[in-house]
Amino acid sequence: MSTRNGADEPIQFGPQSLFGMYCPAAGSTPRGGVLLCAPIGQEQIRGHRLYRQLAHAMAAAGFAVLRFDCYGTGDSPGESLKVSWPQCLADTATAAAELRRRSGCDQLAAYGTRIGGSLALAAAPAAGLARLILWDPILDGAAYVVQLDAWQEWLRKDPGRYPRPRPAADAAGQWLGFAVSPALRHQLLQWRPEPPAVPTVLLQSAEVATQPVPSSFLAAGVQRRTLATPSPWLDPGRLETTVFAPDMVRAACDCLLGTA
Amino acid sequence: MTAEQAFRFGRADHLIGIAGLPATPAPVGAIVLNAGMVHRVGPFRLHVDLTRRLNAAGYPTLRMDLSTLGDSGASGQNQSHATEVLADVADAMNLLGTHAGCERFVLIGLCAGAANSHTVACVNPRVAGVVFIDGYVYRTFGFNLRHYLPRLLSPVRVLRRVARMARQRRKPEGRAVFEVTVPPRDQVRRNYADMLARGLKLCFIYSGGISEHFNHARQFGEIYGPLARDPGASVHYLAHTDHTYALTADRKLLIDTITDWFADRFPLANRR
Repeated sequence: MSTRNGADEPIQFGPQSLFGMYCPAAGSTPRGGVLLCAPIGQEQIRGHRLYRQLAHAMAAAGFAVLRFDCYGTGDSPGESLKVSWPQCLADTATAAAELRRRSGCDQLAAYGTRIGGSLALAAAPAAGLARLILWDPILDGAAYVVQLDAWQEWLRKDPGRYPRPRPAADAAGQWLGFAVSPALRHQLLQWRPEPPAVPTVLLQSAEVATQPVPSSFLAAGVQRRTLATPSPWLDPGRLETTVFAPDMVRAACDCLLGTA
Repeated sequence: MTAEQAFRFGRADHLIGIAGLPATPAPVGAIVLNAGMVHRVGPFRLHVDLTRRLNAAGYPTLRMDLSTLGDSGASGQNQSHATEVLADVADAMNLLGTHAGCERFVLIGLCAGAANSHTVACVNPRVAGVVFIDGYVYRTFGFNLRHYLPRLLSPVRVLRRVARMARQRRKPEGRAVFEVTVPPRDQVRRNYADMLARGLKLCFIYSGGISEHFNHARQFGEIYGPLARDPGASVHYLAHTDHTYALTADRKLLIDTITDWFADRFPLANRR
């Protein structure tokens, strides 16, 4: 995989002055554009390196790639407490428009991991995304909220982190170290995905592949690919471990190139 | 409101950083270095919150990725790690100097970031101060007394300790993110003495997350002797926090500590 040092360009765009890294396609004419939708919170930080590798691999394969931070996440303006689902959807559409403008590509694919995959799925109609590649996306918002609550409870009691459990009040209103507004919590609790109207591939880690996918997804023709490696996302003990997933990067590029 | 601007910069145009540029130029700017492998936003977005607080107080800032970390590429120069860090931070100083009018700089680093700040502060004359967050520490006789004596007197704590060690042995990969090589104590003591003699302001902040190495504010004096009483040195022990400040209240405490120290040691005329 080419690393193409120096190819990607830090940009700020849209009415919110969102932060992004634009990676032009190798070669003169891009084969298409790919929007990389990041997860939020600690999963975004853990996955940053992975997204950079994906961007470089896809650019080397001839695609123009934009990864970006939604409002209140990463380097974009706003506090973590201001993150909201509708704003993330609007930011995804803004980022898609920016990618079209920079690359000249009208047809865009989108890739997303975890809640970033859910964002790509939910934003696809408004953002005009033509294809989706999703790695272990969250397909049940309420179950995700329960999981995040449980992990936050685990965090405040983690004996490797604190000599004695921290009071519940110290950890309230947060998910894995990030402040969360009641509004975002409510929005995720209510979220259920509509089946995608565009060609979609679900890349599923080994243990995630054993869980049921909504029947409406299968009826909509969603394809499933199972990765041999276990999910790096499901163990809170790896809360601060950078995610490397070379098999997933290969699989995502293969899906993009139509060779999977 | 301070504008933030994203930059690609450096001798090989290979570094990525986000500068916070207050409307009024300031003589001193802050440069925040990577904590381990975490990209420039910092653990739990600590560096974003910290730099924005400093910007609001009037200080220009740059949170950056060193060579090969985060979004930064390799310089392509065949250099040692220390030489590369020195060159990267010099590039960062040039950038912030050009865009914010800073002449001198305060380096801020957590763990590996503290180690890299140490490397630069030893030799770079443009460094005005350093915030070492969980920087170099060494066990002392006092540490051992405070650490082991209560355990020997409490069988429950011994059993809890054994259970914790067993758990950590089962999950080794989640704990080794920020490990750094620690130089000899006498060398570090000489380095700090030299920095203070050159007029640098040094802020040492230790978390409860390194309780296997540091367990009382007094330990700084046990390690470094009279340096602890030097007026240029400030020592803070945030005993209840963890190493990466995972809870929001702990991050606020850390950021308050750093911004208060800036206001005290690098006051800006006619600013709040």
